[in-house]
Amino acid sequence: MRALRRIWSRLAGALTGPHREAGLRDEIQSHIEMQTDDNLRAGMSPREARRQARLKFGNIELAKEEYRDRRGLPRFEALLRDIQYALRGLAKSPGFAMLAILMMALGIGANTAIFSVVNTVLLQPLAYPEPDRLVQLVINYPGGPDVNLSIPEFLNFRGQAEVFQDVAAYDFGGPGVNLTGGDLPERVRGIHVSADYFRLFGAQIIAGRTFSAQEDLPGAGRLAVISHGVWRRRFHANPDLVGRSISLGGEPHSVVGIVGPSFQPDPPADVWLPLQADPNSRSPAHYLRGAARLKPGVTLDRVNTQLEVAMAEFRREFPQFHADASFTVWPLRYTDVRDVREALFILLGAVGLVLLIACTNVANLLLVRAAGRSREIAIRVAVGASRGRLVWQSLCESLLLSASGGLLGLIIGHAGVRALLTLYPSNIPRIGEDGSAVALDWRVFVFTFAVATATGVLFGLFPALISSRVDLRAQMQEGGSRSGSGAHQNRIRSLLVAVQLALAVVLLVGAGLLIQTFAALRAVQPGFDAKNVLTLEMSLTGSRFQKTAEVTRVVREAERRLHNVPGIKAVASSWMLPVESAFGAVFAIVDGSPAYKQYPKPALMRPVSPGYFDVFRIPLLRGRLFTDRDDAMREGVVVISEEMARKFWPAQNPIGAQIDIDYHIDDFVAPPRRIIGIVGDVHNDRLDREPDPIMYLSQAQAPDGLTTADVSIIPITWVVRTEGDPFLMSTGIQDELRQASGGLPVARIRSMNQVVSQSLARSDFNTIVLGIFAGTALLLAAIGVYGLMSYSVEQRRREIGVLHGIGGRSGTGAARRSSSKGCGCRRSD
Amino acid sequence: MSTKEKNDVWQGTLSLMVLKTLDVMGPQHGYGIARRIEQTSGDLLAINHGTLYPVLLKLEQEGAITSKWGVSDNNRKAKFYRLTKAGRRQLESERRQWAQTTEIIAAFFARGETQ
Repeated sequence: MRALRRIWSRLAGALTGPHREAGLRDEIQSHIEMQTDDNLRAGMSPREARRQARLKFGNIELAKEEYRDRRGLPRFEALLRDIQYALRGLAKSPGFAMLAILMMALGIGANTAIFSVVNTVLLQPLAYPEPDRLVQLVINYPGGPDVNLSIPEFLNFRGQAEVFQDVAAYDFGGPGVNLTGGDLPERVRGIHVSADYFRLFGAQIIAGRTFSAQEDLPGAGRLAVISHGVWRRRFHANPDLVGRSISLGGEPHSVVGIVGPSFQPDPPADVWLPLQADPNSRSPAHYLRGAARLKPGVTLDRVNTQLEVAMAEFRREFPQFHADASFTVWPLRYTDVRDVREALFILLGAVGLVLLIACTNVANLLLVRAAGRSREIAIRVAVGASRGRLVWQSLCESLLLSASGGLLGLIIGHAGVRALLTLYPSNIPRIGEDGSAVALDWRVFVFTFAVATATGVLFGLFPALISSRVDLRAQMQEGGSRSGSGAHQNRIRSLLVAVQLALAVVLLVGAGLLIQTFAALRAVQPGFDAKNVLTLEMSLTGSRFQKTAEVTRVVREAERRLHNVPGIKAVASSWMLPVESAFGAVFAIVDGSPAYKQYPKPALMRPVSPGYFDVFRIPLLRGRLFTDRDDAMREGVVVISEEMARKFWPAQNPIGAQIDIDYHIDDFVAPPRRIIGIVGDVHNDRLDREPDPIMYLSQAQAPDGLTTADVSIIPITWVVRTEGDPFLMSTGIQDELRQASGGLPVARIRSMNQVVSQSLARSDFNTIVLGIFAGTALLLAAIGVYGLMSYSVEQRRREIGVLHGIGGRSGTGAARRSSSKGCGCRRSD
Repeated sequence: MSTKEKNDVWQGTLSLMVLKTLDVMGPQHGYGIARRIEQTSGDLLAINHGTLYPVLLKLEQEGAITSKWGVSDNNRKAKFYRLTKAGRRQLESERRQWAQTTEIIAAFFARGETQ
């Protein structure tokens, strides 16, 4: 304790030196004066009195010196002196210092940039209370995990009260909710949530309450909890709104509560409606997500053991569900980032290579510099400087360089990543609008500091060790301008350049591969024509659209109106879009045997209106397409893709075959459908995957149950082919759609080209970033080679001059000799 | 023994004397402490007053004493040192150690003489 105190006050002493110095002088002064006073009183002459007083005190300077040694921290002050020395050294060669700092800033800045994204996406906790205890409910299929749950599965999870404190289900808010009754109808983000949702995520309620368990049962009435934002924007922060009725999806809903602005859920929402899931549901539709809060102290292992038992029970009750699936959980945070983790780690690795290249460059520069100073070093060794001291001093210099580089890098990196994320949409989750959530926090500072220190040691220690190994005798012999340019050092410099080039090549190859992917993805024939197609979404929620016929009526009306608009070539309705997604279903081929339903086959399924194939120009290969007469009154028909025909009817003609589809609503209940046509393949999921088999239903023939499920999960998508730029006609199209639907709002208007490029955004982003890194690496490596070449030419100037003198043609022999040096460590003179 | 080690021993003894002096006299300036040590030792111990100041600094750093600028009896500006509670404890423990050491040394020499 006493020692600690002494260290502290010493540290303070080291920092307050000048002030204390004056105090000491005054104190000694007053001491001598008091002694003089006493001596005078004893009868001495003034002169004698003063002389005796000084004698008595002893050597003033010695006392002061001893005092100072005690007061400050001699080591600390020596460190300051070393830093001053290093600063002076660097100031003497500002070109070298600036180049080194710039290279370090580039290397460290790139690392800071990528790390700040990694930090935001992977490291920062979710913005809910105690996020570590939040888990996502997951079903593990043989083909991979899936976070989509059906109601029976959610209810099973909710039954595991031994491990879960709260369990909640919520949908994606896909269709949105039409908020009407104001000046302008508006589609807001609305999601259905089970009663525990708000408690699970720790939502703060600023007025009213949330749904009770009773209100979360089917038929419990139309209720809503609304966000702070909607409350202020649409209802002018009316303090009496709770208990009143608002119009959502054309129906009155009673507002029970308002959520505070601090609650930022994912998926984002403006309005929450009770899920009101039927406790006796046997529906296999997977349209919910589930999350749970673990009880304190419960481990993931414990949960999984419990879930194994639960799955066994579940399988007994719902044998038709998944024979070989299992229930599991993972940290909630993992759900959104699992797709980007790998890519981010690859970028972090690539950027590490860039830093290594920068390090070898600076190390080379330091070696060259040390060679120039070998005289000075030899002299210092000769007068007794220890090797440790020499190493320490050159380390000081490199740490100073890397610290300055780190500081500059922090600025460059932060500005760079923000600019990049603003310029190139990346679709990376959790980074906010244009990367606004990517901020500098303590983790980024610590990271940058650690990287700067580590690189300072990395590139500084090696040259420091080499240059401090001075052989005095060799020094005398080599002498002159060739001082310190021993064969050994040359070999090391060549080796460093070789390493650097190798690293740059690795990065270039990586970037090259990505660019190839980039080009390949653009060359992929998506199977449809995206040019001049406008897509618009419309939410069809509410009791008005529970039957297929009601949706068909709106679709027909919209088609009728839009066909009359000049410049519009084709119109159709769809659920979701090519490239983005489609729901999956299973079907069985009706082949006369009674057990055919036991062999379900998977395929995508999309109900569309007849104009769909015209809008996207998907070619008809065989048979016929839908017409307006393929409605509910007639035989059910289906158009399949070429891939589906090839996969399931490899040797036969599928046209005319009958299939029975399980819509994941209830088991095979609708009558079989007849295949009437085969169309070209379309990339319905992602461009980088082979087209999956897909079957198209006529929208007008979709089973009511399927329509009910679709409208509650996703919006209907209108697709319109225009003659020219589709955006020029956007306003007119929106008007017609609004009128056709009786005033429903239109939202998310995109051209099909935008849809395609959004689907590629993330891989484009990776390509651009890696391309930038590879370019930087190449530049750094080039600087490194240039530095080495110019140095070795400089060294041989005399030699080259002699060659000139005896008539050698410039550029031949000398150039050959120096180029053999640059190309690696083949020669070592 | 190097000069430094000699100093350390000397400073150890001196600091004990400083503490005792402040204990007896209350707050005192450096000159006063030096005079008092000289007088108490019956002028046997003629110290260079300058050596006192590093010792005072060390004691202050350890928290055994505190200092404050004030005015001496003769109206001179001077820095006054005062014993703290911790200093009093330190004095007590060092006094005990000192007594023990002298006892041991005395016993050691006594035996040496009888042999």
